[in-house]
Amino acid sequence: MAFVLFLSVFLIAASGLIYELIAGALASYLLGDSVLQFSTIIGAYLFAMGIGSYLSRFIERALIARFISIELMVGLLGGFSSTILFLAFTWTTSFRLLLYGLVLAIGILVGLEIPLLMRILRERFQLKDLVANVLTFDYLGALGASLLFPLLLVPHLGLVRSAMLFGLINALVALWSTFLFRDQLPRAMAQRIGSIAVIALLTAGMFFGQQITDTADAALYSDDVVLTRTTPYQRIALTRWKDDYRLYLNGHLQFSSRDEYRYHESLVHPAMASRPGARRALVLGGGDGLAVRELLKYPGLESITLVDLDPEMTRLFKTHPLLRGLNKDALSSPKLRIVNADAFPWLQASRDLYDVAFVDFPDPNNYSLGKLYSSAFYRLLSRSLTEGGLAVVQSTSPMFARQSYWCIVETLKAAGLKTYPYHAYVPSFGEWGFVLATRTDWSPGGQLPEGLRFITTAQMHALFEFPPDLAPVPAEVNRLNDQVLVRYYDREWREIVR
Amino acid sequence: MKLTRRQVAPALIGLTLKADQPLKGGFALEAQDRGHQIRDRAATPATKRTIRIPAVIVGGGISGLSAAWWFRRARFTDFVLLEMESETGGNARAGENEITPFPWAAHYLPLPANDSIYVRLLCEEFGLLKDGVWDERWLCHSPQERLFLHGRWQEGIEPHIGLTKEDAAQFDRFFSRVAELRHSGAFTLPMDPGLRRSKPAHLALDRLTLSGWMRKEGLYSPYLRWLVDYSTRDDYATGADAVSAWAGLHYFAARDSEEHGPLTWPEGNAWIARRLTQTVSSHIRTGAMVSRVERTGSFWRVHAGDTLYETDYVIWAAPTWLARWTVSPPPRALPMESAPWLVANLTMSRWPAEKGLPPAWDNVIYGSPALGYVVATHQSLKTHIPRTVWTYYWAMSQGAALDQRRILLGGDWRYWCERIFADLQRAHPDIRSCVERIDIFRIGHAMPRPAPGFLTHPDRLALLKPSNNLAFANTDLSGLSLFEEAQYRGVEAARAALSTLGR
Repeated sequence: MAFVLFLSVFLIAASGLIYELIAGALASYLLGDSVLQFSTIIGAYLFAMGIGSYLSRFIERALIARFISIELMVGLLGGFSSTILFLAFTWTTSFRLLLYGLVLAIGILVGLEIPLLMRILRERFQLKDLVANVLTFDYLGALGASLLFPLLLVPHLGLVRSAMLFGLINALVALWSTFLFRDQLPRAMAQRIGSIAVIALLTAGMFFGQQITDTADAALYSDDVVLTRTTPYQRIALTRWKDDYRLYLNGHLQFSSRDEYRYHESLVHPAMASRPGARRALVLGGGDGLAVRELLKYPGLESITLVDLDPEMTRLFKTHPLLRGLNKDALSSPKLRIVNADAFPWLQASRDLYDVAFVDFPDPNNYSLGKLYSSAFYRLLSRSLTEGGLAVVQSTSPMFARQSYWCIVETLKAAGLKTYPYHAYVPSFGEWGFVLATRTDWSPGGQLPEGLRFITTAQMHALFEFPPDLAPVPAEVNRLNDQVLVRYYDREWREIVR
Repeated sequence: MKLTRRQVAPALIGLTLKADQPLKGGFALEAQDRGHQIRDRAATPATKRTIRIPAVIVGGGISGLSAAWWFRRARFTDFVLLEMESETGGNARAGENEITPFPWAAHYLPLPANDSIYVRLLCEEFGLLKDGVWDERWLCHSPQERLFLHGRWQEGIEPHIGLTKEDAAQFDRFFSRVAELRHSGAFTLPMDPGLRRSKPAHLALDRLTLSGWMRKEGLYSPYLRWLVDYSTRDDYATGADAVSAWAGLHYFAARDSEEHGPLTWPEGNAWIARRLTQTVSSHIRTGAMVSRVERTGSFWRVHAGDTLYETDYVIWAAPTWLARWTVSPPPRALPMESAPWLVANLTMSRWPAEKGLPPAWDNVIYGSPALGYVVATHQSLKTHIPRTVWTYYWAMSQGAALDQRRILLGGDWRYWCERIFADLQRAHPDIRSCVERIDIFRIGHAMPRPAPGFLTHPDRLALLKPSNNLAFANTDLSGLSLFEEAQYRGVEAARAALSTLGR
């Protein structure tokens, strides 16, 4: 009997420490600065245990029944603590509040346990033995937990299921106590049913815990995730909401199927309509094949070269039924040559000339991508154009990143090109910018293909008009050795994104 | 498998290497044995042939190659260049693996000011400078520098996290003193023209250490002292406590503050060395260790392996201290210690996890005994670079150079790997699992240490003048181990040779 009682001390001490460690680990994962997180969590938890010990004096009757209820509450709260915290991190903005609230609540309950237990056992042992034994097992439990947590629990079970496992242990101690002290419990059966209910809940949690956090992952994208691929280059995700498909690369929206025609018609047609004699086209980036789909509306084009870094991207958009539907099988066109290569070195090695080139890279949000918007890159681009050849560059938003947009214009000029900036409204992106660049003089016009949904001859000229709020602002040239564009872009988007 | 106590005990306290794969590598470009054969006067092969040639250049580093380059420009072709190693380049050599080329020592060239005539000439010849515009391709790409300070990376090497107002004021004061020195025109690259314009107050800077000068100026901010000490260790392998204030301040005052440089290449200055080598390749004899240079009548006899060169003029472009062991009659000793360096190339199977700033070209850890690392793939045009090579530099600047050399040569490869990991781990806790290979180049005599008094030392001044048709051309004569000085010494020696030979 004595050993069994002290074993429960050992177990509840262990689970008490586990909850503390879980809160500390989660806080340092999610908030960073582990020294600060662990210090404040341990401090708050010990303080709460002090409150619990103090409060124990107000429990005067039915000690065993109270002890069992407290065990069940600790089991529930502690067992679901990491689940609650993960969900709070994803869904709410008050993670810290919840974190410390939970730590205080669990700490108070755990602080009640030992004083109550000592008082329950007071009649069975001498005070000196009782204190010695209870504290010995208490500290032993702490040692067990602190070794178990980093070596076994975190690597093998993860935080969600570790918490539930120890919640289960609390609930089992409660259930066990209903048998141990059955003669002193007036309503043992009710307590027993309560314990079993908590055990059932936690067992279910153990099995479905993984799904709960997966739901949290999915919530990062607001819609259903249809397809995800992690390639050596990026994370590709396709989401669906009703008939709207959206492609994300590394979490950045690339297109929405509801309005991508506005983007791709704007990218392709102003240049193409003005060059009816164009025979050779180059597309850099744009592995989704949507720009190629627009290009294929010009039967005069003899060849299209598509350069995209990621083979998985072009493979998906060539073979996946849904994606083939979006680009109308553009990537299977016999006119198309797909090259999976890094665009800058590829262009440097290439000696081919193109009548039209479309540059559709992700926005310059880091120094690697910023190279693809540099004057050195645009000089290569210019070199690969035929006399009178046109290049069109997707150039981020002149509304949200105005200086970035005009920086791209300046950089194209510095590479010796004449620039013709234009913009279009794409609802899922906002006001979006492009720059047409060429070594000769140019003006919009020419014959558009049938069946376009956005660009018309009449409205094409309007794209080249800039209202005052998008008008040019001074910007430096983006050079490999001084990438001002990445700094502009970072500053401008930070002002907007909440 | 049965574990022995020797394996278990260190594992329990976490002392074993935590690498996922066994770490590969070793020492590279080892030359101590060959170098010490000269010192020890080891027996040399019997002479098999004698070649009569008007000029011989000894040493194929930047100064020797520059002398040869100047000969070619002057259409003078009657010379050979003798190089002990299998490859020219000296401190500007490079290696290469399946990922990228990487430097073994010197790795950049600051944009030359207008008075660096020879450097500008060279840059124009190699297409780096066209119509007054620098080729963006080889200017150091963004982001250039970052410093790990107080647990995070900041942009630039000049510390700015956690400075008090007084610290910031001291930086301002230091840089305004430097600007005064710059405007005086006494600090130039190469240093000779500036020296001619120097006033006694400038030369007096050579009589105290840089730390001494800072104390006199009331500059005691720990951040400023770190920056200054870092800079002198980086360029001269000497700490601020031991370096001549003249040399230490030259580092700051000789360069323009508004430069958009430097020029750099994945293989470092080997990019230049190899182009120089190409222009004079027919004159180069590698594997030619010069064991004796004797004055005989009106010409010099240069013994290199089994070949004897009889020549009218010798340009000694190898380290000047080496001439004491080789040239007869022996010249005076250069009054400078030569400092040891360790350069390690770390082949990375992946990049360490980064928080905050992305990796820059030059990455420095505040308070580290070493100098940080340079990313060899930084000038790559690719957007996706999964693997890379880091070149890690360590100028062994403490105490006497002799002691440091003993430590450098005494530590085995594993010891140095541990030291490197222990240093990098402060900024990159996961570094051990990212590195698959470490190749270490131990340079026993990497560069001279410009201690106070070096500038006006009579022995140095004596060695500067060619005598008996022998011109010293090594960088160490300048005391400043810089490309500009190496090239200048080489070209000046070549010009002296041409005028003596009447060409």
